[in-house]
Amino acid sequence: MPKLYTFIKYFCVILWSCFVIAPFLWAISTSFKDFNSVTGGATYIPWLQFEPTLDGWSVLFKPGSQGGINIIGPYFNSIFVTFTASFISIALGTLSAYALSRYTFKAGFVQNNDITFFFISQRIMPPVVLAIPFFLFLSTLGLLDSLAGLILVYIVLLMPIAVWIMVDFFNRVPKEIDETALIDGCNPFQAFFKVVLPNSIPGMIVAGLFCIIFGWIDFFFAFILTFTNVQLLPVKIVALNSSITPWWSLSAAALVSVAPLIVVAFVVERFLSKGNLSGALK
Amino acid sequence: MAKIELNNIAHSYNPHDANPLFALKEMSLSWADGGRYALLGPSGCGKTTMLNIMSGLVTPSHGRVMFDQKDVTHTITEERNIAQVFQFPVIYGTMSVYENLAFPLKCRHFADDQIDKKVKEVAEILNLQDFLKNRAKGLTADQKQLISLGRGLVREDVAAILMDEPLTVIDPDLKFRLRRKLKEINAKYKTTLIYVTHDQNEAMTFADNIIVMDEGEVVQAGSPKDLFERPQTTFVGYFIGSPAMNLYECQADNTNQVSLGMNTISVQTNLDQKNTSNLKLGIRSEYITVEQSSGPNTIHADVIEVEDFGNYKLITAQQDSLRIKAKVKREQVVPTDKVFLKFPAEHCCIYANNKLI
Amino acid sequence: MSLNLGNIIFKPTEQYHLNDITLNFEPGKMYTILGRTLSGKTTLLKTIAGLLSPDSGYIQFEGKDFLAIPVWQRNVAMVYQQFINYPHLNVKQNIEFPLKQRKMDPNLIEKEVSDAIQKVGLKGFEERKIQELSGGQQQRVALARSLAKKAKILLLDEPLVNLDYKLREGLREEFKKLFIGSEASQSIFVYASTDPLEAMQLNGDIIVIDEGKILQTGSAKDVFENPANAKVAEITNDPAMNLNKGKIDNNKLILNNEIQFNLPSNLQSMPSGDYLVGIRATDLYLDDQGFDFQVDISEISGSETFLHLHHQDIKCVATIEGVKSYEVDEHVKINFDLSKIYLFKESGELHYSPYQN
Repeated sequence: MPKLYTFIKYFCVILWSCFVIAPFLWAISTSFKDFNSVTGGATYIPWLQFEPTLDGWSVLFKPGSQGGINIIGPYFNSIFVTFTASFISIALGTLSAYALSRYTFKAGFVQNNDITFFFISQRIMPPVVLAIPFFLFLSTLGLLDSLAGLILVYIVLLMPIAVWIMVDFFNRVPKEIDETALIDGCNPFQAFFKVVLPNSIPGMIVAGLFCIIFGWIDFFFAFILTFTNVQLLPVKIVALNSSITPWWSLSAAALVSVAPLIVVAFVVERFLSKGNLSGALK
Repeated sequence: MAKIELNNIAHSYNPHDANPLFALKEMSLSWADGGRYALLGPSGCGKTTMLNIMSGLVTPSHGRVMFDQKDVTHTITEERNIAQVFQFPVIYGTMSVYENLAFPLKCRHFADDQIDKKVKEVAEILNLQDFLKNRAKGLTADQKQLISLGRGLVREDVAAILMDEPLTVIDPDLKFRLRRKLKEINAKYKTTLIYVTHDQNEAMTFADNIIVMDEGEVVQAGSPKDLFERPQTTFVGYFIGSPAMNLYECQADNTNQVSLGMNTISVQTNLDQKNTSNLKLGIRSEYITVEQSSGPNTIHADVIEVEDFGNYKLITAQQDSLRIKAKVKREQVVPTDKVFLKFPAEHCCIYANNKLI
Repeated sequence: MSLNLGNIIFKPTEQYHLNDITLNFEPGKMYTILGRTLSGKTTLLKTIAGLLSPDSGYIQFEGKDFLAIPVWQRNVAMVYQQFINYPHLNVKQNIEFPLKQRKMDPNLIEKEVSDAIQKVGLKGFEERKIQELSGGQQQRVALARSLAKKAKILLLDEPLVNLDYKLREGLREEFKKLFIGSEASQSIFVYASTDPLEAMQLNGDIIVIDEGKILQTGSAKDVFENPANAKVAEITNDPAMNLNKGKIDNNKLILNNEIQFNLPSNLQSMPSGDYLVGIRATDLYLDDQGFDFQVDISEISGSETFLHLHHQDIKCVATIEGVKSYEVDEHVKINFDLSKIYLFKESGELHYSPYQN
């Protein structure tokens, strides 16, 4: 009886792993195929079943004049915009979350919880609703089709996530720790930076991870708010689409675009395994 | 309901290593049906491991668990008919009190009229009959804890109810009510109740049988009175009672007399030859009396401090390296410099290698 | 050098948290604020520390307006009942934090920190992380941080309440030694507690607080012997003083129209009339000639047994020395030590105390 149970348990785990890994393997193999190998039925093993080629990859780096899309510029744009916006969102979000957690705000019937909800409410609306106001704002400011404009918009989109996660985090940190810091001679700012902040790193990392993921995968706003000067990776990749879908280049582009997330996930995982996230605060 | 027996139970988390580390050292215990037990010990003494072995969450690496002579060592928790109450009340907040209590019976497909009868009966015992229609969420902490308990009581097949520090989150005022209720339930239903705690007062107030554990071993099992008056080990003497038992190293002079520093104390213990190494004398503070003059079993000591606790006085006195704490009535006049303290022979316990002779 | 609070009122909601508090604290003395949970003890300490601003009233320290000085510039230290330390710092860094904040000379910091670590018995733990310590050790760290600061005002908010029974017993004694008779004895110590025994043992001035109001101040002995009113008598005794309605009539003391005594000699001069009759649990004793009472529950506390009893409408608690077991609803014979009877007026004010004059 226990043997069968163990068997079923491992069977399920392996099944799930295949489910997760298979698309990756499929994308990797597809990225080395060409038109004939993709349309000629399912093949799996390179050299044996199909002749691998770098065509799919080279398109990504060739300039437009040679029929490519040259993603290097957009790639760095995307990295720059995502990380800058995430960083600023975490910085501002942590500060506002701390205030929302520790101080009481009241304006008529509006209280702390309402303010927190107000932040997150922006993420409840369909992006389309926000597109026109954002477009008009940026055009008024002369920031359409610029990195600064995109960063500004992304901060608006990402900060609610940071605030939401951090408010919850700070609510779990005993208020008495801040009070002890005050009693021990810190003014409120010192108390925040010397005591509260070092203990909030786990929360900030979780919030940062969410910000980076949400920022990185955005296509919609990047598409609406940029034209030719500044292009982000998702928008550029869409440019690959033509009458015949180039599955091989799309696969290569997909792999290239998840790379930074994998790096971030790896770093966070290392941090997690050191036990930094758990147990810092009881 | 059932008699629970643990036969030569031991548990190690690494049983296959050359030197396995035992969280629970080998022991045999039997829990009579309908008893009121407490498992008492400091954190890390193995009491939670023991509890988990009984509930089936942990399979012991050695020995057998028997419920009414039936071997259940490898039976999973769900099939053991054990009910558990945890530190934090476990209630289904969205359900009414009635539904909460009926839940274990519903899951076992009892007929509706049977459920109704049983739930109402249990609710009455728990004083919850007026709240049956209320949402469980809105109740006080002690009422919620009663519901957790009630879910065990509605099932007639429950072998025992295991409670792990059930009063920790309950207000002091409500604790009183809950304690009384627990005793009444035990008296009425004759359900075996096993109460796990690190608090000696909780254990002694609740149980008529206490199993004291330390470092993975059962050091004493007995009534609260036994534990207090005749601690089987020096650990129990320290752990039970406040202040802790006075303990002194001593040498055996003859069969019923020991020397304690420069004093000779006669005791009622029979000290034969084999028990003469590493001897300790233990006496509770409340049995030491203040005398006017020297006499047998009396120690002349310097008064270090007299603390007035209102209801009683605690004298701290010292003779060389002997530090004596004596608890006396508030009216007792205590000299400020030197005092004669008598150790009545009948209250002196002698320990060899920390075990009572 | 003294700390003066005048007419402090703090009323954040409908209820008073602090109601017209006027107190004087002298350096080198120990003050115990005794009151039940939510009586305003913590609020009072936080107000002194500067974490809360009162609605009105003044606080003066060393002749200066203390309310005008922000928390971080007041030279105070505070230990909470929760174990509050800086989780990202190790033991040593935790203790030196306030000193570094004050930009003290590093050599001096080194010395003060190692002194403090020595005093609280944490030598060898300097590099440990806070999470690796037990509750008792964590509280020692918090204590060491307060000691190292050499603050002029030291506030302790029930620092032992969350510790295990045995640990509490040991630490309480250490506390007393640490604060009294140390070089820091020019500071003002304010210790908040719910436990009358703790207050008696610390043996300083007692401030009894209830619902944000000061009920009585005075030496431990005085407050214990002559409680200003019935409420104080309840708060300053554990178990609370037994209070029952009664009257003196025709040379008889009658409790609740049910139990009659011949008026003892010490009460002969009392005028007839209705009173609230108080007697401590320790002044009730088992006596075959006594009155018949029924046991509600017996509770064990340390080395004593608290018997919760009733006789028709009279409810009382009796303390029995030693550990005894009683069943719920068991009948016992109880008598009263009439020489220890207190009389309170119907309004609650003390009318007669056996310790008067």
